[in-house]
Amino acid sequence: MTPLIRTENLVTNFYTYEGVVRALNGVSLVVDHGTTFGLVGESGCGKSVAVRSMMRIIQEPGRVEGGRVVAFFDPRDKRRGIDLLQQSEAYMEHLRGDQISMIFQEPNAALNPIMSIGDQVAESFLFHKKKEMAAAVLAAMDRENGRPPWPLGAFQRALYARTAVSPRDPLVALTGRLPLVRRWQMRLRREALRRSVEIIGKLGIPNPEAVARLYPHNLSGGMKQRIVIAIALACSPLLLIADEATSNLDVTIQAQILDLLRHLKETEIASILLITHDLGVVAETCDRVGVMYAGNLCEVANVTDLFNAPRHPYTRALLEAVPRLHQDGPLRSIEGAVPNLVNPPAGCRFHPRCPEARAICRKHFPETVHLGGDHSVACYLYTDRPRGEGAA
Amino acid sequence: MLTYILRRFFFLTFVLFGVSVLLFGILMTFSPERRAAAYVTTPQQAKDIPRIIQQFGLDDPFYVQYVRWIKEVSRGNMGWSLVAARPVGEAFWRYFPITLEMNLYAAPIVIFLGIWLGSVSGIHRDSWIDHSTRIFAIIGWSLPTFLFALVLLMVFYGYFQMFSPGVLSDALAMSIIDHPDQYTAYTGMLTIDGLLNGRLDIALDALHHLVLPILTYVIVVVALNMRVMRSGIIEELSKDYVLTARAKGADRRTIHYRHARRNALLPVVTVAGQLVAMSMEGSIAVEVVYNRQGIGWWLAESATQLDMPVLMCICLFMGVVFVVTNLTIDILYAYIDPRIRLN
Ligand SMILES: Nc1ncnc2c1ncn2[C@@H]1O[C@H](COP(=O)(O)OP(=O)(O)OP(=O)(O)O)[C@@H](O)[C@H]1O
Ligand code: SF4
Ligand SMILES: [Mg+2]
Repeated sequence: MTPLIRTENLVTNFYTYEGVVRALNGVSLVVDHGTTFGLVGESGCGKSVAVRSMMRIIQEPGRVEGGRVVAFFDPRDKRRGIDLLQQSEAYMEHLRGDQISMIFQEPNAALNPIMSIGDQVAESFLFHKKKEMAAAVLAAMDRENGRPPWPLGAFQRALYARTAVSPRDPLVALTGRLPLVRRWQMRLRREALRRSVEIIGKLGIPNPEAVARLYPHNLSGGMKQRIVIAIALACSPLLLIADEATSNLDVTIQAQILDLLRHLKETEIASILLITHDLGVVAETCDRVGVMYAGNLCEVANVTDLFNAPRHPYTRALLEAVPRLHQDGPLRSIEGAVPNLVNPPAGCRFHPRCPEARAICRKHFPETVHLGGDHSVACYLYTDRPRGEGAA
Repeated sequence: MLTYILRRFFFLTFVLFGVSVLLFGILMTFSPERRAAAYVTTPQQAKDIPRIIQQFGLDDPFYVQYVRWIKEVSRGNMGWSLVAARPVGEAFWRYFPITLEMNLYAAPIVIFLGIWLGSVSGIHRDSWIDHSTRIFAIIGWSLPTFLFALVLLMVFYGYFQMFSPGVLSDALAMSIIDHPDQYTAYTGMLTIDGLLNGRLDIALDALHHLVLPILTYVIVVVALNMRVMRSGIIEELSKDYVLTARAKGADRRTIHYRHARRNALLPVVTVAGQLVAMSMEGSIAVEVVYNRQGIGWWLAESATQLDMPVLMCICLFMGVVFVVTNLTIDILYAYIDPRIRLN
């Protein structure tokens, strides 16, 4: 397996008035090419913060303060990694939406209420596909041009020609900002809108031309989520991050969206990082699973291993809390509450709730242990055993 | 849309009726003698008071007096202004351009400066620019307008001899009066008339006299606009759609100006009505302190003399301004926010 993106000891803190929220406490995970990685854990354990840190879109007052996010996005050399945390903001802007995209939890809030659907999808193309679109417009212009071009038309054509070579050309940028003059981009916008309609249609929304002219409040939650997906998919990213993309939708829509994601995974995108509360969804869709607890990744394994042989006490508790069809014993909930991340417990952050906690767990943080079969776990129950053995 | 506007203008007549009845009622609480005394200038005339009451029916019942007033107004007779010593209608058009001129210059400054400073301080929260605009806003918000105007007048005119009160320097005013054939008052606004008459000196001098009034006015009125814009920007920037835009690859410029600012403008439009009210209040203090004979000055002078026809006229005018402002706000709102439909 070749990795697509890898985090190493990612640390993110929020500087709030109540104190420093230590939301990520050294998270290391790998998403491989062509796989779906599931991230599970209780509410507030830092799943969203983890993926937002990877994209560097943490909002104030948060800061990514340690670790690396290594991306292997180079199509020619898949082993050449780039640490995203070291890159400029401009580099990230160019990456976001083009190579990594994200779908958010709350479709009702994820769209700008006063911008038309078409314009919001078109932005993706205008940010990332200017060059290709300018070339397309240029070709269309040359096809149409029977009569000699009038002076303004020639000027417009020249600007498109420049854009097709380099969309960041200073003259293009300047004329794109001046009032009135910037109208030369009309055809570029029209082309972006045409592509938006195309992708909206591809996501199974009937009558996409009409939908593109509507505003978010005109659409249902499921429709809005499809639009959010359309925005994320517009430029066929390598990695799609779905942050509880279906949690707030009703069950039938949820199933439709998941089917859509599975289908897209086969046709459009390389890898998916799926955050969810629903272990059933994980079992159905994911290849690998990471379990998070209070800012730590406590266990990572292939999906069958995790469900059949969970190692970390928290993972076991989580699986026992899921109702099953053939339930033997009682349904157990996890005792205790999620710790406050301003003042997390010392040592293993799970120890106050852990039925198997030992003396060392209260003092020191457990190292991650690799148990063979690509199964790793951060827990003292496994540190003193030789690698690969590890029964509970 | 058109029916909506027409309906709002139909509604205007009720507003004006309500405003006039209310004000008329308040003025009626003064005794007939007190109101008649406004027309008496010397002690000898005091014996005429009963005759004046008799002649104008000042002790008739409320509704009789009100209906009489309405009748006169509908015939185009708004009454006599003591302060201006001419009919109210004529006096209004004489004072109105002075106030309009000041507002024409101040309003764009208030609107654009407020929105701009508000956005910048919201985007660069807790930076030096945020702190300085906050101080600016606190001063403008908490000092009474007349006090602020007086302080500016004392500092600039009293100490530096820089900006004199009034609307025009005496020498230029005399030159207009001495050669009435060389100067036509097209609009009544000196800066514009000066240009239209080819008298650049008059236009510039009038502009020079406008500096302090506009400064006072802008600092007092811009605070609200600026703070609402600032908190709007901060709130919008924390919303989820901003995250979607960032995840799309939007640069800061696009996020701030294309996404957040347009949304943050909605609350600013909502407080525009309050801004208009504040600017009217501001006009009174500014015109009195800087001795500019506009509507605000006229209102203050007439109020102290209990000059009823003038007070009624100005209140009706304000009623019209408010209704038109609110109508403009509604239309603007529907234009910015697709969720709003006028019907
Ligand atoms: N803007 C913020 N300011 C302060 N603390 C924050 C902020 N955003 C997140 N946190 C903290 O980071 C921790 C992790 O939050 P996160 O949103 O990643 O949880 P989550 O696992 O995604 O939960 P959920 O399942 O509810 O989405 C929380 O405990 C929260 O207190
Ligand atoms: S390290 Fe100790 S406290 Fe933490 S999960 Fe393992 S046994 Fe429990
Ligand atoms: Mg979350």
